[in-house]
Amino acid sequence: MAAIKLKNIVKSFGDTAVVKGIDLSIEDGEFVVLVGPSGCGKSTTLRMIAGLEQATSGDIVIGERVVNDIEPQHRNIAMVFQNYALYPHKSVRENIIFALRRLKVDNADIERRLAEVSEMLQLEELLDRKPADLSGGQRQRVAMGRAIIREADLFLFDEPLSNLDSKLRSHMRTEIGKIHNKFGRTSVYVTHDQVEAMTLADKVVVLHDGYIAQAGTPMEVYLNPANVFVAQFIGSPSMNIIEGTLFNDYLLVDNYRLPRKQLSNVALQTVIDQQGIPVKVGIRPDFFNDSRLFPETDNTFNFTGLQIDLIEPMGFDKEVLFNLAGEAVKARLDLRSELQRDQQIDLVVELSRVLLFDSETDQRL
Amino acid sequence: MTPLERAEARFGWKLVAPTIAILGLLILYPLMYNVYLSFFDVQLNGSKTFVGIENYIKLLSNSDYYSAIATTSLYLLGTVVGTTLLGLAMALLLRDPFMGRGLVNAAIMLPYVAPVISVVFGWQFLFDPISGVVNYLFVDLLGLWSERSNLIGDPDSALWVVVLFDIWKHAPIAYLLILSKLVSISRDQYEAAAIDGYGPIGRFFHVTLPELYFVLATVVLLRLIWNLNRFEDVYLLAPNVETLPIFTYYQAFTGVIDQGLAAATSVIQLGVLSIFIWFYIKKIMKW
Amino acid sequence: MLGKKNIKGRIGFAIAILLLVSFSLLPFAQILSTSLKHQYDWGNPSLIPQSINLDAYKELLGLTEAEKVEIPAAIQKILNNPKLSAEKKQAIAAKYTANDNLFPFGKYMLNSVIFSVGAASFSLVFSVMGAYSISRLRFKGQVVIQRSVLFVYMVGGVLLMVPLYQMAMNVGLASSLWGSAFCLFLIYIVQTLPVGMYMLGNYFRGIPFALEEAAMMDGCSRKEAIIKVVLPLSLPMLATVFIYCFIIGWNEYLFASVFLKQYPEFHTLPLALQELFVSKNAIWDRIMAASMLTLAPIVICFLLASRFMKGGKTDGGVKE
Repeated sequence: MAAIKLKNIVKSFGDTAVVKGIDLSIEDGEFVVLVGPSGCGKSTTLRMIAGLEQATSGDIVIGERVVNDIEPQHRNIAMVFQNYALYPHKSVRENIIFALRRLKVDNADIERRLAEVSEMLQLEELLDRKPADLSGGQRQRVAMGRAIIREADLFLFDEPLSNLDSKLRSHMRTEIGKIHNKFGRTSVYVTHDQVEAMTLADKVVVLHDGYIAQAGTPMEVYLNPANVFVAQFIGSPSMNIIEGTLFNDYLLVDNYRLPRKQLSNVALQTVIDQQGIPVKVGIRPDFFNDSRLFPETDNTFNFTGLQIDLIEPMGFDKEVLFNLAGEAVKARLDLRSELQRDQQIDLVVELSRVLLFDSETDQRL
Repeated sequence: MTPLERAEARFGWKLVAPTIAILGLLILYPLMYNVYLSFFDVQLNGSKTFVGIENYIKLLSNSDYYSAIATTSLYLLGTVVGTTLLGLAMALLLRDPFMGRGLVNAAIMLPYVAPVISVVFGWQFLFDPISGVVNYLFVDLLGLWSERSNLIGDPDSALWVVVLFDIWKHAPIAYLLILSKLVSISRDQYEAAAIDGYGPIGRFFHVTLPELYFVLATVVLLRLIWNLNRFEDVYLLAPNVETLPIFTYYQAFTGVIDQGLAAATSVIQLGVLSIFIWFYIKKIMKW
Repeated sequence: MLGKKNIKGRIGFAIAILLLVSFSLLPFAQILSTSLKHQYDWGNPSLIPQSINLDAYKELLGLTEAEKVEIPAAIQKILNNPKLSAEKKQAIAAKYTANDNLFPFGKYMLNSVIFSVGAASFSLVFSVMGAYSISRLRFKGQVVIQRSVLFVYMVGGVLLMVPLYQMAMNVGLASSLWGSAFCLFLIYIVQTLPVGMYMLGNYFRGIPFALEEAAMMDGCSRKEAIIKVVLPLSLPMLATVFIYCFIIGWNEYLFASVFLKQYPEFHTLPLALQELFVSKNAIWDRIMAASMLTLAPIVICFLLASRFMKGGKTDGGVKE
């Protein structure tokens, strides 16, 4: 079991800096998900923790040890690779117990642990097969088994589900969650899929362009994103960002005037002069409600007379597109709202859910 | 560099060290030593006298040298064109799977792997003036030639026998290179061309050939590089065909031995070869 | 491809294949045929012998009884002369019974095996190390080494024969039997090493890096990862490279002739066959049988190698 500290980690390949300075503490037993678009440095960060890459500068501390100069095989880490990286010439059984054999664990113990792991992952039938004879999902389970049986200090996952189809992916996601609940080991999980990040993490770390854009619990990053990048990256469909102007008493969006004092909880408390200041206004599609179903209150604002451009039915939900301040804005309504194209609609939003961002820096106001 | 990166680099050097030592000592050093030797009068027993550029002067005023260059050029031309065309034809013929393709493949690869020393005797027998099938075929059966002739005995005709031998032996490797590219051309391209109204010939010129352009250039360059150095295939089949390597060998080890002159020949040949290799590395390997 | 071939196309295709295969195999057929023919049959253009003659093979493989050579009667009389010393008698008898037709094929084959298997083994070991280093490890100078190997790969032996011979002369190796053999052995390693490096380098690059990383996460050092993961995965390729290097050594003539011509007991097959061909003992059936026996190991190796080649083993371990 181990806590991890990353202290101002920088990694460059030649002249290109991939990780530009990351500080992060991961507590013992915590499940941390590094999430971000491709090229944000998340995999490189994970590989530096594993020891497969060396940081250009900064320190990595696992437990009490600074591990910068410790080779991967001596860090006592188990890892699940994106492409599984099963040894093609070894059977499933040999793949799983390879590390234990090396560690000279005695045979009875190996058998006991193998039985336990293969039962948990339903691998009993597959133990004598070669990786080439397995389906993608089975290979994934073998890769998990190989990591779990180690009982290592630390689990690393490098996009372990990205090669599975969507049904299998959500199943395995649940399994990984269960396994973590059972063993409670420190885990670092890299993914570009924000659903995995939200569902699995104790702490989500959103990476952007080599920096940490925000770290927090899933609900924190969802409800209180620190900047436009996080706001749009987390949550699906992604948050609407609309140009607006903030005046002393109200926020002007298109022709709508939203009262300032009930706006989002981080609102700027200074006095604003006559011209107002330009801001980016963020509203999640999920927070729009059909006014026919949700009555207006003191804490809500009603966008009246919105012209519907497009309706995308999804079954229970439907996504409705309309124009607001020149932007195509999306709202997610449920099946109770009966709508047609070109019809007009009134949508209510809770004022505290309307977020303001600096129009220059994209940071939350 | 971090300590782990340094350790990796050290390990890398350790592993490659024996190779560097062997190749350096027995290839790179000899190549340079060869240049040195080309300025000496060198005896077989190793004694040397400095003669400056006399070897080069002798060489450049030796008409046999020029005739060796001419022979080599014809040899290169014949083998490069022949090997490439036959390799292309084989690849086109054998592209699509059919019953027994594995066997046919093995059969046509055989000339490439077989020891030269064995197969030259088969060839010599084929061209034997008395017992050979070739003379029987052209004189007795087809009546194209008026009398039996010793094709390998006469240097002029022997050159073409040697060229044919090389094509026979090395077309398989051209075939493999071309085939691997050929099978990677996507079916879509052919179907698109067919829908655009191109028949088989049009498809060959508008789809196949442009795709093969690069691999054909590779084959040509590789044939040039290998055949410029070719010794055994020529010497063992027809020692009277004096291409440059044979010329050098005769200078160095037979008759009036003049190893300094042979060294000078090798130096010039290495110069030409280096141009081909440079071209190959730059244009084909794109390094 | 597009459209199925009609009957005419199919016949044309079959004929083309037939011609191609005949062209490739004719010289082999000729060698086999002549090796099995009696002398009176040589001029017959048919490839099928009128009657099978295995004498040449028997002789080469040492299956015939050492022929008892009849000592002419006149000589026998001299030998019976009691005045002659025993030594002289033996010398005379030897002169008449000496079987200088004999071609010690087995010995030459053994020489060839020793040279080519030995050199191929060394080459394989060095090229595994070198190829792994330049294809997998990161260090300065890697690219230069890589290019040099490619360059060296393409420099032919012809350009090296004079300087290598002179170097051997300078250090005094070329003037002794064992020295020459040692030189030739080294040269065979040098001739095959770049080939091995080149083939294995390309192969190692194709093995997913993640497999070694997984081994390291499983507690292996780099060396253990190579031995336990990379090498087992490369077995088919290692076999192929070994066979390829073996073939190069087995076929080599130039340097064998430069270094060993004067030492008949160390002749390799190519050298011995060439010597036989230009000697007075050149008889077609014997030469052809010897060619056939020289060919056979290579053909077997080749068939093995092409079997190995098909078994690409990395599929399944990593999803592409």
